[in-house]
Amino acid sequence: MENPYIPYPVSIDAITIENDAKDLKTFKLTFDREEDLKAFTYMPGQFAEMSVFGKGESPFGIASSPTEEGYLLFTVKRTGTVTKELHNSEPGRKIGVRGPLGNTFPWDRMVGKNIVIVSGGFAFTTLRSAITYMLCKEQRSKFGSITTVYGARDPGELMYKDILKSWEANTNIDLTLTVDRAPDNGWHGRVGLVPNVLKEVNPSSENSIALVCGPPIMIRFTIPVLLELGFNKDDIIISLENRMKCGIGKCGRCNVGSKYVCIDGPVFTYAELEHLPAEY
Amino acid sequence: MAQGVIKKEDLYRLLSTAAGKKKVYAPIDGVGGIEFAEIHEQKEITLDYSNSKLSPKSIFFPQREVLCTFADDALEEVQTPKEALIVFGIRPCDALSLTYLDKVFSDSAGRFKDPYYLKRRENAVIISLACKEPRATCFCTSVGGSPSGKEGADILVYELADKLLFESCSDRGQDFMKTASVLFKQAEEDHKTAAKEQAEKAKDGMPVLNLNGLKERVDKVFEDPLWDEITRNCLGCGACTYLCPTCHCFDITDEENRKGEGYRIRTWDSCQYPLFTLHASGHNPRVNKKQRMRQRIMHKYSYTVDNYGDIFCVGCGRCILYCPVNLDIRDMLNTLNKL
Repeated sequence: MENPYIPYPVSIDAITIENDAKDLKTFKLTFDREEDLKAFTYMPGQFAEMSVFGKGESPFGIASSPTEEGYLLFTVKRTGTVTKELHNSEPGRKIGVRGPLGNTFPWDRMVGKNIVIVSGGFAFTTLRSAITYMLCKEQRSKFGSITTVYGARDPGELMYKDILKSWEANTNIDLTLTVDRAPDNGWHGRVGLVPNVLKEVNPSSENSIALVCGPPIMIRFTIPVLLELGFNKDDIIISLENRMKCGIGKCGRCNVGSKYVCIDGPVFTYAELEHLPAEY
Repeated sequence: MAQGVIKKEDLYRLLSTAAGKKKVYAPIDGVGGIEFAEIHEQKEITLDYSNSKLSPKSIFFPQREVLCTFADDALEEVQTPKEALIVFGIRPCDALSLTYLDKVFSDSAGRFKDPYYLKRRENAVIISLACKEPRATCFCTSVGGSPSGKEGADILVYELADKLLFESCSDRGQDFMKTASVLFKQAEEDHKTAAKEQAEKAKDGMPVLNLNGLKERVDKVFEDPLWDEITRNCLGCGACTYLCPTCHCFDITDEENRKGEGYRIRTWDSCQYPLFTLHASGHNPRVNKKQRMRQRIMHKYSYTVDNYGDIFCVGCGRCILYCPVNLDIRDMLNTLNKL
């Protein structure tokens, strides 16, 4: 990257509404220049800054997998200036993407391991990327079992419904969906908070690595469950979020102790986080 | 090392001769106090100051800087700054601070270089002016500096009675002096002796803060209730961070007109403001002023030691001098170190 502040020009190719509240949309982006597509090489766990010129830029986890070639996916919750503008956009609009930024899930260490994925709410984005990556034909044999617990407030808030349906039918992944509260009819998954459901699913910690993404409160209650299941602190992998601007370790706001979420993270092990102040 | 002496009144002639196409910055007696500005004649320069009010970091890292422009949904890069500068009169503490900012903006791993800052730095000659009389708030010798320190300077100048003694401390400084060699008189033994005596006197006059083991100490006392006590009076105005020569936190925002044309700009920001770390969700990891002042102190005296190997404080004392409620970082450090 010659100038790390300059985004690649991209176009919004398609927009999908992900939840009943309609405040989560997935943006499929294509690069305007072939060479940028080639330059943007990433692995699941990384993030990028999406830019709407005149409104600003904000960081988002990359929801697509590098095995989904030719485009990028980002799921965006409508909360502020940039995200509102994105939500009001139509396909065809030109925006910018700056990245990939941050580290990845520890793929070297994950090879040969059983993978346990725990997620709540819309932090599931980079885990969609990770699961899609592991389930692709060339990659699947490199990993043991893939056990996933994914929860949301209610069924209408679960994202990626089509893909979840296909994963439920796929014997290569053991997917458990849960909601905090369910309507009377039509919900066939579990009801209960993610940490409790994880306890019920009871995945083995033997030769396993756990990836955890979710709101701070979910992470706080999930870690004791994983420790109880026998996971090593090094094998509990957590992806953090903090407010960011530059994304390249200079603007000074996303630090947790001496670590910057943008360049030292967003992926940390629990063993690392244990020694850092809880400023996230 | 090249040495040479000029008369004070010949300073501008020297700087402009050696400058060629470079712009010359020097201390002037500005509206709000001593500041660095581009100068065009001798009488604009003042040598009667202990230090500038604002640190000279803004010469290289301006408070507002355009990163790129756009019209509608198309972005255009701006040219990174091309102008070359000669900056005269930076105090040794501020020159040292530039070496710290260099580390941030160049990134040790070399992955993300900041082209705006680095372009200006690449093309600049730093001529720093040794301190004769440190202020009561100065404590550079306690944090690895010196009133006649050379780090970060291409040339160090000593102010003698009616003369200035130039001493190069880098190849770039030596080249500069060579360009203007006809204007220099040879440095005599008594000039050198006077400079040395002056440097010793300035150093000896400064109170010493014992900061041994400070990093290990602050790392250990992160949760101590004493932080509440030492930050109780803080107003959270952020003046300390704007004045600090090593503070480099910034914001990036877009500004546009009704036609959809505008700029992406970066502006100085401060860890002392609650919005600095506020998440979109409403969650804020540093929600109170204790946490924010702790961040400021930890960042300077612990985190940068981990990340860059240096305490990011040069002891210039600006944060002490201009704090509206007289918070004194030396007292805070002393208190923490004795915990």
